[in-house]
Amino acid sequence: MSPLLAFQLRRVARNRQFLFFTVLLPAAFTVFFTRVFAGTPGGVSPEQAAGTMVSMMAYGAIGATLGATVRLSFDRASGWLRQLRVTPVPQTSVVAVDVAVGMVLTLPPLVVVALTGRFVNGVRLAPGEWAGLVGVLWLGSAVFVALGLLLGWALEQKAAGGATGIVGTVLAALGGLWVPVELFPSGLRAVAHGLPSYWYAEAGRAAAGGALPSASAVGALVAFAAVFGGLAVLVARRRPLAAVAG
Amino acid sequence: MPANALDIDGLTVRHGDVLAVDGLDLRIGRGETVALLGPNGAGKSTTVGAVLGLLHPAAGTVRVLGRAPADAVRAGCVGAMLQHGGLPGEARVGEVLHLVRGAYADPWPLADLVATTGTTGLLGRDVDALSGGQRQRVLLALALAGQPPLLLLDEPTSAMDVEGRRAFWTTMRDLAARGTTVVFATHHLEEADAVADRVVVLAGGRLVADGPAAQVRSAVAGRTIRLPSGRLPEPLPGVTGATRQGATVELATTDVEATLRALLAGGVPLTDLEVRGASLEDAVLSLTTTGGPR
Repeated sequence: MSPLLAFQLRRVARNRQFLFFTVLLPAAFTVFFTRVFAGTPGGVSPEQAAGTMVSMMAYGAIGATLGATVRLSFDRASGWLRQLRVTPVPQTSVVAVDVAVGMVLTLPPLVVVALTGRFVNGVRLAPGEWAGLVGVLWLGSAVFVALGLLLGWALEQKAAGGATGIVGTVLAALGGLWVPVELFPSGLRAVAHGLPSYWYAEAGRAAAGGALPSASAVGALVAFAAVFGGLAVLVARRRPLAAVAG
Repeated sequence: MPANALDIDGLTVRHGDVLAVDGLDLRIGRGETVALLGPNGAGKSTTVGAVLGLLHPAAGTVRVLGRAPADAVRAGCVGAMLQHGGLPGEARVGEVLHLVRGAYADPWPLADLVATTGTTGLLGRDVDALSGGQRQRVLLALALAGQPPLLLLDEPTSAMDVEGRRAFWTTMRDLAARGTTVVFATHHLEEADAVADRVVVLAGGRLVADGPAAQVRSAVAGRTIRLPSGRLPEPLPGVTGATRQGATVELATTDVEATLRALLAGGVPLTDLEVRGASLEDAVLSLTTTGGPR
């Protein structure tokens, strides 16, 4: 592991709030939502239990990727990136490491929520389906790594922290991660179809069912990743990381 | 072939519409200790930024130990304390030092580095818990982590108290004695005077004086003559200005001898006259207000 990657991971790991919001909260929601549905007539079907688990895996992964990558703006505000710029550490590896940190930190919520689904809520999938589910959601999280880098690069520290919270909440609520899209009024359902979080969870649901993600889900995720990544590159050109904040 | 520590030719840097550095030529040999002196907006930080490759010049070239700025930084030839540099949150001082030392091929041995920079007791501390002065010492340790032959310091002592400053400049003198080239931007004239063997005065992005501190002082040929206020003879050759301070008058002159002759001829008693060289502060003030293009 590169020393910079180890250094960055250690810093995030020290942040208890980060671990709480990205790992423990989605795991708790997985149990909570399932228990709420269990009170309704007919109880909770295995499909509903699996669906809730997939949604919470997506929710935790989105929070973790956005929360990890937006830290770029904190490091710029403190002057650390400027300081690092006058050491032999190349700029490209600073950005590459932040991408890697985002991707690595997606795994704890995915794994912990999956374990919660399996052992607390009794979700049963074939080994290949588990692997596919975690794999698809892990790869798909690249979309939110790109979004988080874009926000971190474009916004000042104070705005970036708040924006990440709002964006994460909107993506979760309107993307159908808290309440399934099937229960949305039709207008809101159309909004959901315009969000990457919907297609992300959709790809996960397909994988959990042993299927490949639909072409529309893959297409939407690739398109969002390209747009976020492209915008991040544009912002980066106008605003080098080592520039003085402001 | 030992190249100069710094070769700056025709450096021009724009910040939007503002010409921050305007055709600067500057050569700094290895082992020199040079102060970049000037008021805010003179172009000191911009020059430092260009030397480190943080800014792209509109024109001109910068060579750092014979290399392009970014290459010199990559090769670990330059250490820097930046005005807007900082430390990462949620990290320990020891971790930050370890990371940065690891980036150099031949890092300064840790025990010696922390002893030199006064950071021995800080290694286990959270960066967020450091005082302003401690922070500056850690930043110095980062700047020195690779034992760089060239050290660039942009207003390094701004967050330090008097004691901290004294210790800091003692360290700088030791480094200079070991052959490190030290270039620092400051507007503390006493620091430039006490530490640098060469003072480069910038104003409005241009070089207005360059030489040993004593020479910069005399560049204004500045002398002042103090005498009790009273009727002064007319005319007074060489006098460029007069200020009254209570019961005394201070005359600034470029020709002490002619002014004194006229005063004595005018009946001013010799015992009342006091002649002094201009302070470095006077010299810089004079240079930057008359020599600058603004």
